[in-house]
Amino acid sequence: MIDAIQAAYVVAILGAAIFSGWLLAPYVVGVYNRSPGRLDRFLDPLENLIYRVVGADPAHTMDWKQYFLAALLVNIVQMAIAAFILLFQGSLPLNPQGFSGLSWDLTFNTVVSIATNTNLQHYNGETTLSYLSQMSAIQFLQFTSAATGLCAAVAFVRGLTNGSRDMGNFYVDFVRSITRILIPLCFVAALVFVALGVPQTLGGYVTVKTIEGASQTILVGPVASLVSIMQIGTNGGGYYGANSAYPFQNPNPQSDILEIFLMLLLPTTLCFVYGLMLGKKRETRPVLFGAYALFAIDLIIAFIPTSTLNSGMEVRFAGFWSAFWTVVTTAVTTGSVNSTLASQHPLVVLSAFMGMLIQSTPGGIGAGLMYMVMYAVITVFIVGLMSGRTPEYLGFKIRSRDVLLVMSAFLIHPLIILVPTVLAYATGAASTIGLGTNSLGFTQVLYEFTSAAANNGSDFLGSMADTPFFNVSTGVVMFLGRYAPMGLLLALSGSVIGRKRSPESGLKTDTIAFTAVLVGSIMILVVLTFFPFLALGPILSYFQGNVNGLG
Amino acid sequence: METNPENKQKASYRPVVGIAIVSLLVCGLFFPLLVTAVGQVVFPHQAGGSLVKLDGRTVGSELIAQGFSQRVFFHPRNASASGVDPDITVQDAMSQVARISEASGIPVSVLQQLVDANIDASGRLVEVQYVNVLLLNIQLVQDYPSVYSAYA
Repeated sequence: MIDAIQAAYVVAILGAAIFSGWLLAPYVVGVYNRSPGRLDRFLDPLENLIYRVVGADPAHTMDWKQYFLAALLVNIVQMAIAAFILLFQGSLPLNPQGFSGLSWDLTFNTVVSIATNTNLQHYNGETTLSYLSQMSAIQFLQFTSAATGLCAAVAFVRGLTNGSRDMGNFYVDFVRSITRILIPLCFVAALVFVALGVPQTLGGYVTVKTIEGASQTILVGPVASLVSIMQIGTNGGGYYGANSAYPFQNPNPQSDILEIFLMLLLPTTLCFVYGLMLGKKRETRPVLFGAYALFAIDLIIAFIPTSTLNSGMEVRFAGFWSAFWTVVTTAVTTGSVNSTLASQHPLVVLSAFMGMLIQSTPGGIGAGLMYMVMYAVITVFIVGLMSGRTPEYLGFKIRSRDVLLVMSAFLIHPLIILVPTVLAYATGAASTIGLGTNSLGFTQVLYEFTSAAANNGSDFLGSMADTPFFNVSTGVVMFLGRYAPMGLLLALSGSVIGRKRSPESGLKTDTIAFTAVLVGSIMILVVLTFFPFLALGPILSYFQGNVNGLG
Repeated sequence: METNPENKQKASYRPVVGIAIVSLLVCGLFFPLLVTAVGQVVFPHQAGGSLVKLDGRTVGSELIAQGFSQRVFFHPRNASASGVDPDITVQDAMSQVARISEASGIPVSVLQQLVDANIDASGRLVEVQYVNVLLLNIQLVQDYPSVYSAYA
């Protein structure tokens, strides 16, 4: 249980995220609608130069296939650039520690991981990556994956908007996401992080003689710039292997609170963007209230036990802030951690699973919103079946192809989690790295693939999983987990363009009643799909812990 | 935003590769270098890793734990999430006071006051009571030069 002051902190931080999202949403909508703004004087010439240099016509518009293909291809080229830097960092500049290049399988895993907004890390950055790799492979892809998420969500909403004729232009959306949203936010956040104690230097590691006379290496680097985008972009990949438990990445309670707030900011903002872009502000209700209601359920589960300081936590965050962070980081599928997952109570781990399995509480940037609308369409369809009415969402009739698309998007998730989990055991890959067939071992393997599929990135295994099997399998899972649902949901949205809309006579989807039904159907869909597997993992751990007196 | 039919771009690879390279330059070089430049000028101490000095010599970072094994010092935790947790709980610090007092001859009450005075202010705000081990030990060395002459 948590006390009143801790509860007040939870409410205040969530409240601040919702309030800031409400404030920021009109600006974000303006960015994508190309509304005149104060930054135009500086940014218009710069952006126009970019469009001219790369040969992209900003007046050109795209259908869903062109939009998705552009996003996918740009992402693949970005992965290739980052892979080149990681493979050959030993011969490239900004490598004061003289780290050598990464293996091919770790490179593959890492570039897919960061580019898909997952940030599963099978390496420890501080002992593996040069400054150039941290900046021009990791931070670079953290920006582009967040921007891609924003673009996909915006294009998705454009397609659903009544009267729209196209999905927009990916190149323009992508450039403006970076220049007008991510860089300004990250610049301010990065400087605040430096002020709070996060290093930002290219001077190389510092070796000192300690007070007792031993030699100590202080692992400084361009950390603050990475921390800003890893949290704002719901990426989660840390500069250090210990992620935000490492004091340089998260030095004090203030930085901890700021990092929690920043992870929530853009996913929450997008809930408001949804209603504004549709021209139906009330449609924000089900996606925002639905997301936060599910988030609240996760928090309540995690706060049932009292988390106390143990050897997998940091003193400055103690039990409460470690458990709270673990729920938030999975609710928005960021995946950064400020404690080791192994140190968390099984119910906190269960709550983390819930966030990653639902993926829209409020979920990662862009992806979270798209999943929530996917759930809404499924819910409308189910309600339509039960009431015998033709299912309609936002005034358009839901056709059988639409149901096929949303169900495929939904079912990919269990498929790419459960099949590789079985494979990890069947091929012996799990036992090779010492994972048992008990509830703890099973939890760790299931968590690894759940985290990969949900593009979350928190994990139990870390550099332990730097084996060809886990590098390749999670790489494939992350790629499919990112682009397959994105493509299917963009296809849904694209097919709605030009479809006849009936005046709102059907089921009202902007009500509290619908929100309640939506939350219920998400719980049923997700919990029933995964319950047997959760029962074998964290739930069994919980009961075994109780029996053994460890609960 | 008009659709321009003669401008229907065929699947062209130039914008794909071009946007990827521009984003590398902007996000992967310009941004971290800009933050480095501004951060170094505005907050040089923090940007450099919050290094602390004792008698003009850099002895560590206040954010990174360093090993202390002598009986006259406060000791950090051996196991933590980061492995370099710079803080210990007030309770932990108080439990070490008797040992330090015995080894150094500094009165228990003085050491207790020292711990109390060093409780982190931001930790108090969120109900986590802790002290920084390195800063505590530096203060000991500075306040009792005769006891700690071997370390100054």
